[in-house]
Amino acid sequence: MNIIEVTNLSHRFPDGTIGIEDITLSIREGEFIVIAGRNGSGKTTFLRHLNGLLLPDTGAVRLAGVPVSRDIPRARQMVGMVFQDADSQIVGETVFDDVAFGPENLCLNECEVKRRVIKSLKAVGLIDIADQRPHLLSGGEKRRLAVAGILAMESRVLVFDEPFSDLDYPGVRQILHQALSLHKAGHTILIATHDLEKVIAHADRLLIMSDGKVIMDNAPEVIIKDVEAFGVREPCASRLGMEIESWLN
Amino acid sequence: MAELTAFHFHPGASLLHTLDVRFKILSFVLISISSLKAYPLSLSILTLVIFYAILISYLPFKSILKELRYFFVLLVFIFIARAIFTPESPVADLKQSVVAWQGIYSGALVCWRLLLVVLLGLIFVSTTKPSDIRIAVEWFLTPFPFIPGKRVATMMSLIMRFVPLILDQARETVDAQRSRGVENRKNPVYRLIKLIIPLMIRTFEKADKLAVAMEARCYSEKRTNKALSSNRSDWITLFGIICLSILLVNN
Repeated sequence: MNIIEVTNLSHRFPDGTIGIEDITLSIREGEFIVIAGRNGSGKTTFLRHLNGLLLPDTGAVRLAGVPVSRDIPRARQMVGMVFQDADSQIVGETVFDDVAFGPENLCLNECEVKRRVIKSLKAVGLIDIADQRPHLLSGGEKRRLAVAGILAMESRVLVFDEPFSDLDYPGVRQILHQALSLHKAGHTILIATHDLEKVIAHADRLLIMSDGKVIMDNAPEVIIKDVEAFGVREPCASRLGMEIESWLN
Repeated sequence: MAELTAFHFHPGASLLHTLDVRFKILSFVLISISSLKAYPLSLSILTLVIFYAILISYLPFKSILKELRYFFVLLVFIFIARAIFTPESPVADLKQSVVAWQGIYSGALVCWRLLLVVLLGLIFVSTTKPSDIRIAVEWFLTPFPFIPGKRVATMMSLIMRFVPLILDQARETVDAQRSRGVENRKNPVYRLIKLIIPLMIRTFEKADKLAVAMEARCYSEKRTNKALSSNRSDWITLFGIICLSILLVNN
């Protein structure tokens, strides 16, 4: 079943520059997709159309058959987004409060908010620091907190925008492990990155974007040799003709 | 700049942690106002009460003192100013000013009162979850028809969340400029402008990102708030605080 259907999606910014142009694709529930492209290729602009943060000039995005523009709160609940700058995404004064922010916005009752917060914090391994101030967390913990905030909204699709930027090796492994467990639990995962090395071993599908268009859309092993033409580095193992290994091994 | 960390919530289960936040705000306001009218005897009683409160809340007393060191510097300045500018019976004649007993007494009194108010604020912030403060502010603003209580409370909680980030950003900007030799420029106005403009730009960018992130998490003013509830111990504490305030004022 297709959970996301994008048809002829185009977006132009107020200054006239093209953000994305004529994108048509569909995403099946439970897929693990990596979207790659150089800076400014339109990855973030595309992702922001999936939950109605940006609305298209032409074309449409449908989530489980319903256009995003028809029910934006539903789209935001359904497609959770983890932003590149985790610091700017965290709004709560404590870890617990931050995770509760989303469920409180959904007007759930207090018991349900608490249940979801505890469940999400357990899922990302932050339950022991629920009263900690987010400012004092490490980079990896901040990203995991952002993920918990999305999990508490029970989103079916999780979108990560450059999730590995500014993270050290353990931080990258933590986030990767988190994304894989969520995928295993049935969530649809979309990861936008310009660094394939860290995640491509786990992807079902690779989209390459350039100048606002989806240039390639296929299984990673089919197109991985051609990505360098679009400003994305081919993973080292692939260059050496070896099998690409997971960063978790 | 990160020394402002004394003023934050310390999780715990003491009596002060469990009191209803509305009663804590009322108590804080009552004691703060009445302490301005208090004199040494009643200030001594209040000091004992505050130290007892710190003790039963299990707050880290040593680190509180350490982190208040800049405030103590401010108190010293206030004391000196009061001592010099209160013109009665001089005890020391400096070149251009005199120090009077009355001035020393008045300076010490003002510093003592200010210190107690700051300690009260610290106890309040340390034993109260920021989200509870937000909800209480919203509750207190509800009767005022022209003040958007929810919005004010959200803004207040976002400020509390973002002050450490802005301070970090300022420190980073200062370090970046020092590494490029800004200290060779002797004009303080030039240096201030070079600090403030990039800091403002970064802060506004962060605010913009924050707004988008809040939107992505379905933020609206119609949302679930924790229900506030009071019990017997809140009323008993408030009664005790009112008695203490009367004692302070009538000293």
